[in-house]
Amino acid sequence: MGHVLIDQEGKPVFAASTGRMEWNHTGSWRYMRPRYENKLPPCTQGCPTHEKIPQYFAQVKRGDYRGAWEIILEDNPLPGVCGRVCYHPCEDVCNRGEFDERIAINALERFVADQNLDRRYPASFRQPSNGVNIAIVGSGPAGLSAAYQLARRGTAVTIFEAAAEPGGMLRLGIPEYRLPRHILDKEIHDIQSLGVEIRTGQRLGTDITLEDLQNRFDAVILALGAYRGRAVDLPGRHLKGVRSALDFLRELNTHQPVDLPERVTVIGGGNTAIDAARSARRLGADVTILYRRSRTEMPAVREEIEAALEEGIDLKECCTPVEVLGDESVRGLRWIKTRLGEPDDSGRRRPIPIPGSEAVLETGAVLLAIGELPELESLPALGTTGSRIAVNDHYQTNLEGVYACGDVADGPVGTVVDAIATGKATALAVLHSLLDQKPAANQPPVVTYDQINLDYFRHQSRPALPHLDVRDAVQSFTEVNQTLSPDTAEQEAVRCFSCGTCIECDLCLIYCPDVAITRGSNGVPYVINYDFCKGCGVCVEECPREAMTFEEELSCTN
Amino acid sequence: MSQIPVSVPAQEIMGSGHVACPGCGAAMAMRNALKVLGPKTVVVIPACCWSVIDGPTPHSVVGVPVIHTAFETAAITATGVRAGLRARGEEDVNVMAWAGDGGTFDIGFQSLSGAAERNEDIIYVCYDNEAYMNTGIQRSSATPWGAWTTTTPVNNPKSRPKKNIVDALAAHHIPYIATASVAYPEDLVKKFERAKSIRGMRFIHILSPCPPGWKSVPEQSIRISRLAVKSRVFPLFEVLDGWKYRLTQDPEPVPVNEYLRLQGRFRHLTPEAIDQIQQDVDSRWNQLQQRIASSF
Ligand SMILES: Cc1cc2nc3c(=O)[nH]c(=O)nc-3n(C[C@H](O)[C@H](O)[C@H](O)COP(=O)(O)OP(=O)(O)OC[C@H]3O[C@@H](n4cnc5c(N)ncnc54)[C@H](O)[C@@H]3O)c2cc1C
Ligand SMILES: Cc1ncc(C[n+]2csc(CCOP(=O)(O)OP(=O)(O)O)c2C)c(N)n1
Ligand code: SF4
Ligand code: SF4
Ligand code: SF4
Ligand SMILES: [Mg+2]
Repeated sequence: MGHVLIDQEGKPVFAASTGRMEWNHTGSWRYMRPRYENKLPPCTQGCPTHEKIPQYFAQVKRGDYRGAWEIILEDNPLPGVCGRVCYHPCEDVCNRGEFDERIAINALERFVADQNLDRRYPASFRQPSNGVNIAIVGSGPAGLSAAYQLARRGTAVTIFEAAAEPGGMLRLGIPEYRLPRHILDKEIHDIQSLGVEIRTGQRLGTDITLEDLQNRFDAVILALGAYRGRAVDLPGRHLKGVRSALDFLRELNTHQPVDLPERVTVIGGGNTAIDAARSARRLGADVTILYRRSRTEMPAVREEIEAALEEGIDLKECCTPVEVLGDESVRGLRWIKTRLGEPDDSGRRRPIPIPGSEAVLETGAVLLAIGELPELESLPALGTTGSRIAVNDHYQTNLEGVYACGDVADGPVGTVVDAIATGKATALAVLHSLLDQKPAANQPPVVTYDQINLDYFRHQSRPALPHLDVRDAVQSFTEVNQTLSPDTAEQEAVRCFSCGTCIECDLCLIYCPDVAITRGSNGVPYVINYDFCKGCGVCVEECPREAMTFEEELSCTN
Repeated sequence: MSQIPVSVPAQEIMGSGHVACPGCGAAMAMRNALKVLGPKTVVVIPACCWSVIDGPTPHSVVGVPVIHTAFETAAITATGVRAGLRARGEEDVNVMAWAGDGGTFDIGFQSLSGAAERNEDIIYVCYDNEAYMNTGIQRSSATPWGAWTTTTPVNNPKSRPKKNIVDALAAHHIPYIATASVAYPEDLVKKFERAKSIRGMRFIHILSPCPPGWKSVPEQSIRISRLAVKSRVFPLFEVLDGWKYRLTQDPEPVPVNEYLRLQGRFRHLTPEAIDQIQQDVDSRWNQLQQRIASSF
């Protein structure tokens, strides 16, 4: 109905037609059709567990921290852990990085986890039994993630763990100043609340056998991790004071007495090396790290390397040990400078010693952190790729009903999030095989930077992460990094482009020349009225984030 | 806020089913103008695309009373509507003349000038698609220098600069003049709000992309409008009382070619011609800056 002007006597002010134009279905002009379709943000693709990042940011913006947590939990049951120790490959591919600075995704993940420390899973996480009974060996991130995904789908799960407490490297390797144990405990308790039983002190090969597990359970998932330090051919390696950095960390983390000399040298460039160095620093030692390539090649999490340097740890790049010196105990280390040659199989440049550049370093201990491999001697029937268990695309080993994931299996190894991702994928593969539960269908295309409509964004910088002052940090094992404030977290979530994910900004609705878009209801943000949409495409073109799709009318099915 | 928020009034006065071409800027402009002016509005439309867009009598898409009038009479018809309403004691009605560039810069200029000089109490909106589009893309005095139209073919494109209609209106010392863009809906809405709150003659000049006339693709109508502003081809500003200039948007500038290259009507331009346009745009921008500087 049009608006008719009425005078004081209730009569129309002048003759005006009240017929509108809705009889004219201009939708018949259309040969291109717009529709709402979220696309895959690069961060989600880059995260090995495929966390729905802009989706949980949307909840952060609304202050619905429980909602944000539940979205993360779809894919990852350990956000408090990952929010602290993940190497965040999601951030490396963040589109915002090309505009100004990458979004602090990892800090937001931690923020969400920390807002939910007093919360428990929603009741909907407990499903009726699906009749399946699974054994998992190893309670590191891979085993925990597999157990969680199975239990959420009604599966009975028993974890057998050799150590006295669950958590794997999260408890035995990673020091408390990076991952306070109450965070780890909380997230493990949550998983246990789904009915997952964790039997500690149960070592496969001694306390239990694989055949026994195969007989008692519908399937067995091996998530044993990698614990054995790689052998090194270093003269003097048997001297007292030369030991594996991981053993040192394990003793420290299980609160056994450790005594360190005044000067400690760590050999290696991974997380174990940095953690051993920073822990030794906290025990009062003067610490030097020797790494045979340059800093950019170090596999450790970047921020950890920077923190180590800030804490006064001496990093000798492009240096490799030649001989440990001493009579009975270590007194020193002879080392030599290297230069970088052609890339090796790992793709990193091979270090080549420079003749005549040797020198000696005084040290009372040498901690070797040159990588860990799985111990598979007690499992001779398993097929391996040499050092790790061989698995196919469905995480199946050569033994019927036996699966493997995490660091023990061939594939992406050496990080917490890859362990969580392969644990999740293994759980889904197990259910697929036993119950024919199909994993989710194909993914939408990824949003590239050039698809973001930059006219709608202003430059804004990434927030600095709060952390302890270094002088205080090196005094104790108190956690160094801190949680973002709610205000900063909200601002950072707002800064995200929300690639491919509608934020209900209304631009499409505002610009439509044909008034063909209206707000929807029941969780549907917008509805396009195809009776009137002429298919101009303005809405699709102006959507800042590629949350709409424009396609040929003839190829549409509905 | 990282994403620049855009919000306009929720009320929809204009409806669907009109016959504007896909991606029409003039349709977007009317929709947003009426969101501000509301149901107590009379619209006066002379011969132009909008007399067709609105629909065939007895149908009309705008949702408020419309008077269709002769090509040259938008301002005087609006003046008459205002007089009639006043005679009937109806003081709270907006009277809006809504004309194309032909009806404003050319044939309707006499009646517009008269109404402006008398400071008639109307809002006069020119949606400027820079040619006589309704009759087949003939040049008007609003067509920019160098542009193709059916009467200025590519071997003989328009050789005179676009008439500066804002200067012409400013010379009438009317209370309010503004330029507006469909790519800046919030800015456009604010200008209609300001216009609504003022009495006397108000003039709003809206650049309105026309995909068939500009030889552009419909989905880029907003992008092109935004580039017109960013390239300073069409700066967004207000003029109060004919002499107080104020810029309302000042985005990061881009070269004019960013704007020109999305439109087929400029495709024949040589690099020298584009340089010429850039120089003209720069000098007009400098002049605008000087006026702004000496305004307050
Ligand atoms: C010091 C250190 C720091 C690290 N820092 C980071 C970091 O910052 N970021 C990052 O992403 N990654 C880091 N990593 C790597 C990461 O911790 C591992 O890649 C990850 O924990 C592997 O997970 P998983 O579940 O496969 O194995 P694990 O975490 O190693 O867990 C395996 C579990 O299996 C148990 N187990 C082993 N054998 C048996 C058996 N025979 N019977 C029963 N149970 C058994 C073990 O006790 C253990 O609990 C670090 C590693 C170390 C050592
Ligand atoms: C006196 C008179 N001359 C010519 C016409 C034919 N005519 C109708 S609309 C129009 C062009 C209108 O151009 P413009 O005002 O720029 O509006 P547009 O169609 O571009 O929106 C012309 C020439 C007419 N209706 N009346
Ligand atoms: S801008 Fe946001 S959605 Fe896009 S990649 Fe970065 S974090 Fe993901
Ligand atoms: S802007 Fe409107 S008319 Fe154009 S394609 Fe989108 S919904 Fe259709
Ligand atoms: S323009 Fe805004 S509201 Fe519309 S689809 Fe894109 S993100 Fe969603
Ligand atoms: Mg015109």
